[in-house]
Amino acid sequence: MAASEPYRNRVELLQGTLDLLILQTLQWGPQHGHGIAQAIRTHSGDLLSVETGSLYPALHRLERQGWLAAKWKLSENNQRAKYYLLTASGKRQLLSEQSKWELLVRAISGVLNPAQ
Amino acid sequence: MVPGLLKSFVNRFFRRASLESDLDAELQSHLAIEIRQRIERGESAQSAREMASREFGNKELIAEVTRDMWGFVAFEQLMQDARYAARTLRKSPLFTSTIAITLALGIGCTTAIFTLVHGILLRPLAFPSPERLAMIWELLPQTQKKNVVLLNNFVAWKERSRSFQSMAAFFELPMNLLSAEESEQVPGLKVTAEFFTALGTPPILGRTFRPGEYYRDEPREVILSYDTWQRRFGGSPDIIGKRISIDVSHHEVIGVMPPGFGFPNVKADLYVPLAIDLNDGRNYSVVARLKDGASIGATKDEIAAIASHTAQENASLNAGWSATVVPLLDQTVGGIRPVLLVLFAAVALILLLACANIANLLLMRSARRTQEMSVRLALGAGRLRIVRQLLVESLLLAILGGSAGIALATGSLHVIKTSLPESLEIPRLNEIALDFPVLAFAVCATVLSSLIFGLAPALESVKRDLARDLHAATRSITSGGRLRKALVIAEVALAFVLVAAAGLMLGSFIRLASVDAGFHAEHVLTVRMLLLPVRDEAFHAEMVGEMLLRIRSLPGVTAAGSIGILPMQGTNSGSWYYRADRPEPSLNDRPGGDVSIITPGYFRTLGIRILRGRDFDDHDRRNSLQVAILNQAASRMLFPNEEPIGKRVQVWWNRSPVVEIVGVAADIRHSQLNSAPDPCLFMPNDQQPFPFSSLVVRTVGDPAYLSAAIRRQIRQVDSDQGVAKVETMQQLVADSIARPRFETLLLTAFAIVALTLACVGTYGVVAYSATQRSREIGIRVALGASRLSIFRTILGDGFGMTILGVFAGLSGALALTHFLRSLLFEIQPDDPVTLAAVAGVLAGVGLLACYFPARRAMNVDPSITLREE
Repeated sequence: MAASEPYRNRVELLQGTLDLLILQTLQWGPQHGHGIAQAIRTHSGDLLSVETGSLYPALHRLERQGWLAAKWKLSENNQRAKYYLLTASGKRQLLSEQSKWELLVRAISGVLNPAQ
Repeated sequence: MVPGLLKSFVNRFFRRASLESDLDAELQSHLAIEIRQRIERGESAQSAREMASREFGNKELIAEVTRDMWGFVAFEQLMQDARYAARTLRKSPLFTSTIAITLALGIGCTTAIFTLVHGILLRPLAFPSPERLAMIWELLPQTQKKNVVLLNNFVAWKERSRSFQSMAAFFELPMNLLSAEESEQVPGLKVTAEFFTALGTPPILGRTFRPGEYYRDEPREVILSYDTWQRRFGGSPDIIGKRISIDVSHHEVIGVMPPGFGFPNVKADLYVPLAIDLNDGRNYSVVARLKDGASIGATKDEIAAIASHTAQENASLNAGWSATVVPLLDQTVGGIRPVLLVLFAAVALILLLACANIANLLLMRSARRTQEMSVRLALGAGRLRIVRQLLVESLLLAILGGSAGIALATGSLHVIKTSLPESLEIPRLNEIALDFPVLAFAVCATVLSSLIFGLAPALESVKRDLARDLHAATRSITSGGRLRKALVIAEVALAFVLVAAAGLMLGSFIRLASVDAGFHAEHVLTVRMLLLPVRDEAFHAEMVGEMLLRIRSLPGVTAAGSIGILPMQGTNSGSWYYRADRPEPSLNDRPGGDVSIITPGYFRTLGIRILRGRDFDDHDRRNSLQVAILNQAASRMLFPNEEPIGKRVQVWWNRSPVVEIVGVAADIRHSQLNSAPDPCLFMPNDQQPFPFSSLVVRTVGDPAYLSAAIRRQIRQVDSDQGVAKVETMQQLVADSIARPRFETLLLTAFAIVALTLACVGTYGVVAYSATQRSREIGIRVALGASRLSIFRTILGDGFGMTILGVFAGLSGALALTHFLRSLLFEIQPDDPVTLAAVAGVLAGVGLLACYFPARRAMNVDPSITLREE
């Protein structure tokens, strides 16, 4: 069990934000795990890199919570991959995560810049 | 609830496997996409693969942390409940084992009897396509009772019917198997050619009879049963083609049947061909295989139609007769079906009683656990979750009791199969097994029981007012009291029904066993045999005379005689006879009756009195005046209010003699104890020789001691003559009522179990509520209530429940005991004396169960109980 600690720690670190990032990424359409990781990296200007060890547990957890649905499809390159898509409740969850995030950003900014 | 959980567990279990492979594929595809992208960016295939998998990380580890997200929550909760339940049960071993033993008793009895019901009534017979097998019987004019068949009619059915694939007639006959050491008479079956084809079972060795009926010159062939092959011929495979001596001729062994093969309810060691003698009387059974798709209803119509034709074509033999078809399974088990169903109902009642008792115990405990439950509810545990946890506890108890019950059933089944006497004549006993359907039944019964005894207490324990319970803290709480009382009433009622059934059976059996059969069975030995075929049948009479002469001279023998068919065999040879001084009665108006062929000494040996005239003696020879003796019933039938001695009677028998009546003998119950004496006409063996001869020998001491000496005398008269059976007359009488004795014994045992359960249940509830009320009682006593009034209150409460139960049980018994009618002899299912006695027994037992708790309550010391809280 000790060997898995690094992954678990990172899951802990990204908890919440990773969910938001995944939901956000899927807003533009169904995508497989690899594609989601790539999109997050690209959109963050390579600042955020999602470990597979965090990504897949998160995807399966979100699916279990009913926010994502999954099905197997052929990719544009003709490779079989499991595609995730937002469910209706996933979309609601995304909105609530977004507003929570904005609240958090505003709160932290307030703390960091008390002058304003 | 529990089946739902089980289903979701099974679903998850299987879904888990598919989830695993899905996850593996998903991770695999992630890698594949990464590798492809790297190659497209220009990396070499090898480096792409290495880099991709390095970046990916440890796949097994990723799979493991991902799997954690699936969370088999429900299953894990179930396991948690089970562990908790196991801990709780282990903490109170007495409680747990009481419940387990009670349930084991219930499940054990139920499973054992269900094994019989399944093996005998439900399982198809052990032949290929057994549902197409049937028997065909003739139906007597007027009564429409089933009767054995005339071969002439068998041939007509066989030739004219279209719905049968094959049809065979057969006839049971003892056969004399000759051997160097000692000749032996074994049960044999004479069968027409299609017997084995119809049944469809192939031999394990050799062949069966060739198709095509024989009308004379049937081949001297024989087919052996597996047991005979093993026992008499050492199981040697080169038996085929050997010649063995049966009766007085050699037969070639052409086949051996597989182990366990046999026509249902017929024991046969040998099968030989039956030649069709169209002049023979109604003696034969007929078995047939229906064509594929033919219905029993249609074949019934067809056979009835053919029978109405033969009734006209051959009116002298067939006028008024009809015929019908009975499925072989019905024919085989029809007799025992009501018995088994009654026994099954009895054990179902016992199981219900056991469940009620267990529910009571659980209710009492849940009352003790009130606080635990209230605290858990207050802390936010879902009611459903608590109900489920309690049900898991019940299920665990049920599994404990159920597995012990199945073990009990297995043990009792072994006893049933090995120790039940043959005289019970239970069909298909060798086919009974504790197999998959029986196990499935036991498991279902167990789960159902856990629901029955677990649901009420579980629901009761969460249906409460939290605030009050928590507040009440340690003070007595009487929740579930009404339910407990209802359970006690139900238990007493259930026990009443069972005890009433047992009481009726017992009453019936006592009446049956004390019937005066009309003869003295003590000190009488019987020897059954079929005499070897001879050219002149007068020789038969001489042989029997010679044997009797030698046996009478043995020391210890006081009298000896012979009769064609012994009493207590359930049957007798019969025919019809009418007064020779009156015109022959019309066909439909023939007075029928038994005919017994006896020797002088028969009446004296069995102690049957000659009421008028004389017994046969040595002067009634072959060529002297043809004589007969009537029993009282026959005398009343033929000569009401007239002197029968000296009158002449025409008898329809082998030589159709006209006989002169020389005596009237006292009636005896010949066929069986439970039917009134039939009219019977006796003729001397010297004048009407008969190949069936059963010797009866009266001795001074234990008749069994003379068995060897008597056999020796028979062998000295004819060394080839074997003996079929040697038994004491008392044994024959006892065997004839073995079945009712067995039924009575089982039902009585079940009734005792039920009574015990009800007694324990009543005691438990009364004792518990008395303990619960000890504080109240303490206060009453402190305030000056007399101890007697306390005693009376507790006793009255408990006894009130018993009385209510007795009344409920009485109405239940009145509604149900009529199902016993076919098993009862000379007692009505609503016999008031029995029912009153049963009510008395239950009230007495109930009083006893309430007495001890009431006495304990009376002696409560207020200074102790009041300080306790």
